[in-house]
Amino acid sequence: MTINTGTTISKLEQPRRWKIKTQSRRSTFISFERITQAGTNQYTIPAWLPWIVKRIVSSLLGIIVISMLVFAATQALPSDPARVILGPEATEDAVEVFRKHLGMDQPITTQYVKWISRALQGDWGHSIDSNIPVTQLIAGRLENSLALVASVLIVIIPGSLFLGVFLALRRDSWIDRTCVSAMIALKAIPSFAIAIGLMMLLATSVFPVLPAVSLLDPNQSAFAQPIFMILPALTLVIATLPYLTRLVRGSMIEVLDSEFITSARLRGLKHRTIIWQYAIPNAVIPAIQAIALTTSVMIGGVLIVEVVFTYPGIGSALNSAVDIRDIPVIQAIVVFLAGSVMLINLLADIATVMLTPRLRTQPASTGA
Amino acid sequence: MNISAWTKKIRQNSQIGLGFTLSAGILLLALLGPWLAPHSPLDLVGPRYGSPDANALLGYDYLGHDVWSRLLSGGLSLVWMSIAASVIALVSGALIGMVAGFFRGRIDQTILWWSDVFLAFPNLILILLVVAMLGRDPWLIVIIVSIAFLPGVIRLSRSITLGIAQQEYIEATTMMGYSTYRILLREILPNISMPLLIHLGTMLSWAVGILAGLSFLGYGVEPPAADWGLMVNENRAGLQIQPYAVLAPAILIALFALGTNLLAEGLGRAQSGIKEAR
Amino acid sequence: MTTELSRRGFLISSAAMGGSLLLGSGLLSGCRNGSDNAVTELPNEPQYGGRLRLGIIDGSKTGDLDAHKPLTTGAIIRGFALYSKLWEWGEAMTPELALAEEVDVNDNATLWTIRLRKDLEFHNGKTITADDLIFSARRLSDPALASPYLAYLKWIDRDNLIKVDERTVKIPIKGGTGLLSLPDSWVNFGGIVPEDYHPITNPVGAGPYKLKEFVPGQRSLFTRFENFYKTGRPYPDELEIIDFKDQTSRVAALLSGQIDVANALDPEQIIPLKQNSKVNVIVSETHGWQSFDMNLSKAPFNDDRVRQAFRLLVNRQELIDRALGGEGRIANDLYSPLDPTFNHNILQREYDLDQARFLLKQAGYDNDLKVDLTVGPGLTAVAGGSPAGLVFAEQAKKAGVTVKVTQVDSATFGGPLRNDWQFSTNSRLGGSFLHTAAMVDSPISTANKTHFDHPRFDELFRQAISTTNVDARKPLVHEAQQIQHDHGGLIIWGYNNTLDAAGRHVGGLAAERSHFPTWRFDKLWLSKHA
Repeated sequence: MTINTGTTISKLEQPRRWKIKTQSRRSTFISFERITQAGTNQYTIPAWLPWIVKRIVSSLLGIIVISMLVFAATQALPSDPARVILGPEATEDAVEVFRKHLGMDQPITTQYVKWISRALQGDWGHSIDSNIPVTQLIAGRLENSLALVASVLIVIIPGSLFLGVFLALRRDSWIDRTCVSAMIALKAIPSFAIAIGLMMLLATSVFPVLPAVSLLDPNQSAFAQPIFMILPALTLVIATLPYLTRLVRGSMIEVLDSEFITSARLRGLKHRTIIWQYAIPNAVIPAIQAIALTTSVMIGGVLIVEVVFTYPGIGSALNSAVDIRDIPVIQAIVVFLAGSVMLINLLADIATVMLTPRLRTQPASTGA
Repeated sequence: MNISAWTKKIRQNSQIGLGFTLSAGILLLALLGPWLAPHSPLDLVGPRYGSPDANALLGYDYLGHDVWSRLLSGGLSLVWMSIAASVIALVSGALIGMVAGFFRGRIDQTILWWSDVFLAFPNLILILLVVAMLGRDPWLIVIIVSIAFLPGVIRLSRSITLGIAQQEYIEATTMMGYSTYRILLREILPNISMPLLIHLGTMLSWAVGILAGLSFLGYGVEPPAADWGLMVNENRAGLQIQPYAVLAPAILIALFALGTNLLAEGLGRAQSGIKEAR
Repeated sequence: MTTELSRRGFLISSAAMGGSLLLGSGLLSGCRNGSDNAVTELPNEPQYGGRLRLGIIDGSKTGDLDAHKPLTTGAIIRGFALYSKLWEWGEAMTPELALAEEVDVNDNATLWTIRLRKDLEFHNGKTITADDLIFSARRLSDPALASPYLAYLKWIDRDNLIKVDERTVKIPIKGGTGLLSLPDSWVNFGGIVPEDYHPITNPVGAGPYKLKEFVPGQRSLFTRFENFYKTGRPYPDELEIIDFKDQTSRVAALLSGQIDVANALDPEQIIPLKQNSKVNVIVSETHGWQSFDMNLSKAPFNDDRVRQAFRLLVNRQELIDRALGGEGRIANDLYSPLDPTFNHNILQREYDLDQARFLLKQAGYDNDLKVDLTVGPGLTAVAGGSPAGLVFAEQAKKAGVTVKVTQVDSATFGGPLRNDWQFSTNSRLGGSFLHTAAMVDSPISTANKTHFDHPRFDELFRQAISTTNVDARKPLVHEAQQIQHDHGGLIIWGYNNTLDAAGRHVGGLAAERSHFPTWRFDKLWLSKHA
């Protein structure tokens, strides 16, 4: 799993109006441009409404294109799922029968149209492998993965906010320097190495107190079996917390250095008031994009963690499906994951716009 | 911001120094290692999972290769693949981003939309999918990793270009009738090169993580080649019998990722003017 | 009887409690790891009750429950719990009567007469009759089912099965030759199922366990079948088969008590496990074999001398030490050493580098022969993976042969090109000579990777598979094996051991010559005091 560095470079324009350039892959900067282009009718309807509509339409289009890309990539590429599933012992006739059964003898556009129209009705086909409806196969695993991602977010969002603000207020103290160095080092370790290290430390070799393998009982919710979620969740926390914390710390420092905080100080406002009412709210907005990015990165990173701990989630299901070319399962999972990432980005953009006063009221005042 | 101020800042910045030392050290090890290795990385010179002895500094691996020799020979693939993937992403992404930011309008919207679409595929999943379908040729892996990085670079270079292109001196050069080509390369590129360079360091450390992760899942470099990621994977089952065969390459991977990461961090800090901790 | 029932009722309810307290048991098992090192002796008599948990590795496939189309090893293992067959594997991988009470075959093995035992029952209470047997045989051999194992049984004349009486069926063989290997071919995949059988909605069989729940790719849960044909068995109340993706995590689960039994381990894992006082390691010396397959239809392997040279330049013991971690025995390029007709008079081929070089030179190669060796996925030799190929490449260097090893994934390895590799690895379960030849290198084989096609061998094979009498068959097989040894395309360098491990509280588990002591679900039991 990888995470962007959150080296945030902000330029101050006016108090409480931020133009933020981040190197993160989701840049708030983009939002400004979009608003500029969309914000012509601001006097009749709320300025942000056309922008949101446009943003939603473009996301929907994106999902359709993604479904086409995924379908084309999985269906057209040189591989023969029928042969993979039946194995080397099967006769050519048996493979041919199976291929027909899978509908693979039809032209690809026909296959796509059939597939997408069924998918829209909630029928994603049957797993080639286990012959179970894909939706049924994924549902339980999805729940487990969501439980994992949710419990990680519950830890890292407040954790990074607290730690980031805490460190920013003690900028360049020994504790800040130690934490920043530790976070840089942690960020460099590949997540599978973190996972194996934690497994050795807490499950098998040093302190065998936690189960090494996440054998969830499929009849219960993952939340009812938290013991199995600790190690995978901890791995993801260690892999994502440094990035988020440093971003919050960075933007908090920017805010503290800004003119309006200085002028607030000059006006004699209390330190506590300045921090809580002015600094933190402004420092949190860039964190929204960062949380969105972390979540989408985690959706990818969950794969390795689930494989290491045999956690029955959507990531390990995808890894298996890719390995054996279980195409309906791959298609459904990848389209779902990509769709979720798009949705998360959309929500983050909307949240950023709605929470930034300037963007909400005067979208046309910035940019060209 | 002039060059001498830059070099001064860099010299003062111990983070950059450490990052540079680490990255350069690993790079040297990877480049020179194959010549320094006492054995061929493929020679079966000792017992399976044999312990370290006079002949093998770090013991033997799952087939009886010398771990030390494989370690020396095994850095090259990771180093060149991560550098190639990052540089390709950087160059092509910078160009596309500049074009988008400079011309704006429909071109910009189209490019942004497509990079949004590709952004929706989590890195590892995109790469896994393509590698599983098309095979594990090193160049294919490099290209796919760079495609996964592309949207990030495009967004970065586009957003900086957008800011610069609106500044007066660029508008002046446009009025003076300079060619678009010249403006892009002579006026804009120098201004966006520093942030891009920082991003290169970041991408390098991601690439190391991704490539090692791919090897871990069994989709990376093919055996019998010596490769650090592959070494971790193939010796993992024997971790309890011969830990060096797993730990040594894992540590080198982490150090390389750490080095490039520190470099990027340090440069980023130096550029954004945040003073280094004293 | 009533006391036993009530005791079982108690056990079931306590097992249910255990299930609902999974969290607690997870914690407990974690603690047990460190504190309890005392090894309790197993009682002499099998004990009833408990939930037996078997951890399997099933690659990436999730597998199914189909009796006749098991798509993975895991599916076959589940089939051993769910379905009973006409035969079952004996200790030495020979078919022994199970649901069948009596099996007769005519002299040239073209007509089989099978009689079922009396009063057999399916899980749903229905009596097993000849109609079910016919239905099962027809379903297995149905081209529309597209079973990968159709190749084994396509010679059954499925449209002319004859019901003699309620328990007896006659099975004719088509194609002009006999099919003496019918029982071997039928054991793994020939579950007897009722006529209203459906692999998803109605997976009913007559095996030791009934299905309770199947979560593909994760786990399957079974409950004891009270009317199993072996009265008094199985012993545990429940069986749980848990899918793992990774050997390391499965061993971790075994050590922490999350599973009771783990089958087919990697040799790496045996070393630490053998030192662990809580775990028994069972080493079964199977005759499952490891080979390099030379494609006779392609140069240079169309030259007899090159094939002989390759067989001489293989250092078999080194391959076993390195690629199998020492868990195996050298082989003599022949399969089925446990078959009563095996030719033990053929001398073991010894490592002879000089002779190999000489033969290669004679064939016109002077240190300049290059071949491409294609290996399957995975990192273990038993899985057909890379280690054996890599070791072989180093050995071949010494004879001046350059071997380029290419590892491909399972999709490619078993794909349309599977019979076209110039040189490739192979790994197969042990079995009788006729059954193995029928799959590997005989005229009726569908996966003849070596393209071995020797007129005299083919003739001998056709005669042998149609000769019921062992003494008459022996000379045929002996000659056929001599031909394989002299001219064949297989370099069979070793027989591998199957390595299983179980907690000390698991009874009924002993080393065999077969591959699967851990799949004998009618034998395994749990001691309550461990």
